[in-house]
Amino acid sequence: MHKLFASAFVCIAMAAGGAAVAQPADNPLLPEGPGRDRVVAVCTSCHVSRAFAQVRENANGWKNQVSEMILIGAQVSPADMDAIVGYLSTAFGPGTRLPGPPSQAVDLPDGAAKILVLGSCARCHGLDRVAGAKRSPREWDHIVERMAFYGAPLDEGQRKTVVAYLTEHYAAK
Amino acid sequence: MKGTGGALFVEQLKAAGVEYIFFNPSTGDAPIYDAMVDQTDIHLIKGVQEGVVVAMADGYARASGKPGVAIVAAVGLPNAMTQLVNTYKDRIPLMLAMGVPAREAESRGGAQQYDGQETLLTPISKWAWRTESAAGLPDITRKALKFASTRPGGPVSLWLSEPGLREEATATIVDEAAFNTPISMRPNKADIETIARLLIEAKNPLLTVGDEITLAQGEREVRELAELLGLPVMGSAVLGQWSTPFPTRSPLFLGGLQANTPALGQVDIHLNVGSWLGEQTARGAKLISIRQDPATLGRATPVDMGVIADPKLACADLVEAVKSLATKDRLKKIADERTRRVADYTEKARKLRHDVAMQFSTGSPIRLNRLAFELEDFLDKDTIYVADLDSGRKMEPLMNFGGDDKMYIGNGPAVLGWGISAGLGVKLARPDKPVIALVGDGSFLFGGPQPLWSLSRYQAPITVMVLNNRSYNNERNRIWAFGGGSQLSRGLDMTCYNGSPDVDIAKTAQAFGVEAEQVNDPETIKAALGRAKRANIEGRPYLLEVVIERDGIGGASEWHPPFSIASLRTRKV
Repeated sequence: MHKLFASAFVCIAMAAGGAAVAQPADNPLLPEGPGRDRVVAVCTSCHVSRAFAQVRENANGWKNQVSEMILIGAQVSPADMDAIVGYLSTAFGPGTRLPGPPSQAVDLPDGAAKILVLGSCARCHGLDRVAGAKRSPREWDHIVERMAFYGAPLDEGQRKTVVAYLTEHYAAK
Repeated sequence: MKGTGGALFVEQLKAAGVEYIFFNPSTGDAPIYDAMVDQTDIHLIKGVQEGVVVAMADGYARASGKPGVAIVAAVGLPNAMTQLVNTYKDRIPLMLAMGVPAREAESRGGAQQYDGQETLLTPISKWAWRTESAAGLPDITRKALKFASTRPGGPVSLWLSEPGLREEATATIVDEAAFNTPISMRPNKADIETIARLLIEAKNPLLTVGDEITLAQGEREVRELAELLGLPVMGSAVLGQWSTPFPTRSPLFLGGLQANTPALGQVDIHLNVGSWLGEQTARGAKLISIRQDPATLGRATPVDMGVIADPKLACADLVEAVKSLATKDRLKKIADERTRRVADYTEKARKLRHDVAMQFSTGSPIRLNRLAFELEDFLDKDTIYVADLDSGRKMEPLMNFGGDDKMYIGNGPAVLGWGISAGLGVKLARPDKPVIALVGDGSFLFGGPQPLWSLSRYQAPITVMVLNNRSYNNERNRIWAFGGGSQLSRGLDMTCYNGSPDVDIAKTAQAFGVEAEQVNDPETIKAALGRAKRANIEGRPYLLEVVIERDGIGGASEWHPPFSIASLRTRKV
C-alpha cells in the first residue's frame, strides 16, 4: 500500500506520528562532540539519529547531505551548516565503527584491486555490500565515483583499477 | 419538470451551477448521457479510467471552489477510491455517482456485484446515499451537493438506482441559492480579543497557515495579520498540505511546517490558522488554533485554545481587534522589531539555499535545483503550478508561490497518479491561466497513460512535465535513511528502481497524440519550455520528459532483484 504514496522528505516523521522532536537524551547514537547540539536542534526535527549513525561519509559527503536538506527547507544558518557538517564528518566519518552487528564475512577474489577495496570500501561498510550484487560496468563506475566523493581514498587511476576488478568479478550478465 | 431520472439528475446539476460532468460510462447510467444529447450548458469530460475521472474532478474543484461531479462505473469504484483519498483528506467538494441495479437484482449477486459494495466508500465519504426513484433523485442530488460544499467540504457518494434513472417522473428542480446557502462562521468576539492580546504581548510568536485559508480565499487577510504584527510564518505545501496560502517570497516566510523551529528558538505564542498539520509545530508554545474543521482540531496535538471559524473572517477580525488594542505607533514598533529579526534569517536562508543550489546546478542528468532555477525564471507569475511530486518537492524552496507569484495546487496525502488529470481539471476551471502539471516517473507509471487520452481528446493546452529519475527515488531514500536494514547494509534496492524497462515517456505521450520531447541537457530546458508554451498558446498540450539525477543514498544503483518468469518454463511455450 505504501507505494501509493509519495511524501515530503522533510516532514515524514512529523506527519507519520507527530512525535518527531527528539531530545538529546533520546539520541544515544549521537556521541558527544562540538556541533552535536546543532544536529539535535536542526536535524532531529525530522530525522531519528539512526539516519546519520548508519552512514559514513567525509566532509564532502556530509556537506552534500546537509545541502540537500537545506534545499528542502531545513532551517539552517551558514554557521549551523559548518557546525553540523563538522560534527557529522567527525562522528560518522570514514573509519568510525558502524552500529549494529558486524556484516557478513566476504572472501574477496584475488586481484590487483583487492587491497584497494579492503582499504577504501571496507572503511565505511561491510564487504557484503560490495559482493552482494552483480552490476553493469556503468553502474560500478558510477558507484565508485560516488564513493570517492564520499571519502573513499582512491585516486583516478585507482578508481579505474577498482572498477575493472569489480566488473571482472561482480558483473551483471 | 417531467423526465427520466437521468434527465432530472442533469437538470438539477445545471440548476446547481454544475458545468462539467467528469465520467467513465457504464451501461446502467446511460439515461444520464441520453439526457446530455441536446445540452449546451453542461459538458461531459471523459476519462478512460476511474482514477483519472476523480482526479480531474478534484483538480477542477480545487481551482474553481465549486464541487466537482464525477460519474463512474460501480465496478470501477476501487480505482476511483485511490484518488478519492486525496479529495477526502483535503476536504475538497466532490460528488461521486455510480449507477447500480435495483436492490432485488443486486441480492441475486450479478457478475459485477458483491455484497457490501456501498460500504467501501463509508470511510472516505462525507455523506453517502442511494436513490431509488426518479421522483426523488433531484432532492437527493441537492443534498449531496450541499453536503459536499458545506465547509469543511469533502466527497459525497451517490448510488443511483438504474431503474430510477430510466423511469419517468415529475419532480421539482431547485436553483442552488434556495438549498445551498454559503456558511461563514464568524469567531466569538471575546476569543478574538484574547488572541489579539496574546499576539501583541508575545515575545517570540509564530503563525502557521494551511489549506483552510486557501479554501476560504483568505490569503489577503492572513497576510495583513502577519504584516501588522510582524509574525514569522510557516506553512506551505508539504505532505499533508496541498496549497501555499502565504507568499513564500515574503521576508516573514520561514518555510514549510516542521516539528520545531530552530530559526526562531522557543516560541511562546503559536497561532495556527487553517492547518491540522500546523498544530504539530512549535512544541512547548501556547497553541491557539483557528480551524474550519472541528473533527481534526486538536486531533493529533492538544490545543490550549481552539476556535472554530471561517479563517478569512477570523483573520479579518483579528486585524481589527489588534488595531483597537494598541496604538498605530506601538504596533509599528512591534512589527518592525519582529520583522527585522525574522527577515535577517529569511534573507540569509534564501541566499544560502541559492548558493548551495548553484554549486550543483550543471551537468547531466539534470539536477533538480537547476530545473528549479529554469522554471522560476521561465514560468509566468500567473501560472498555476500543479504538483504531484516526491523528489521534485526539492525544487519548491527555490521557487516563489502565493501572493503575486505562481499559484500552487498539490494533493495533501500525495497519492500518486493525480497530477496530470488534476492539471486538466485546473485548466477547465481557470482556462485563462497558464497551467503546468508536474509529476515524477513514479506517478506517471502508477497513474498510467490514461490522462494523456483526455488531454488529447479535449485539446487541453497545458504543459505536462515528467521528472524522470527512473526510480521511486525519495521512497528509497526514506527506506534506507530512516529504516536502515538489509537493503542499506547490503546495497540492494529491492523495491524502488523503475528503470528496467526504461520506458520512453515522451514516446508514450506521442502515441496518444500529445506532442512531447525528452530533455537531457540543462542548457536546453528553457528552449523546451518555450516550445511547450508555444503549443499551449496554439491550443495544444505538450509533455516534457526531463531526465533528472537519481540522487541520495543508493542512487547510483540500477540493480533490482533478478527474476524472470520466462526462466520458470520447462518448455518454450
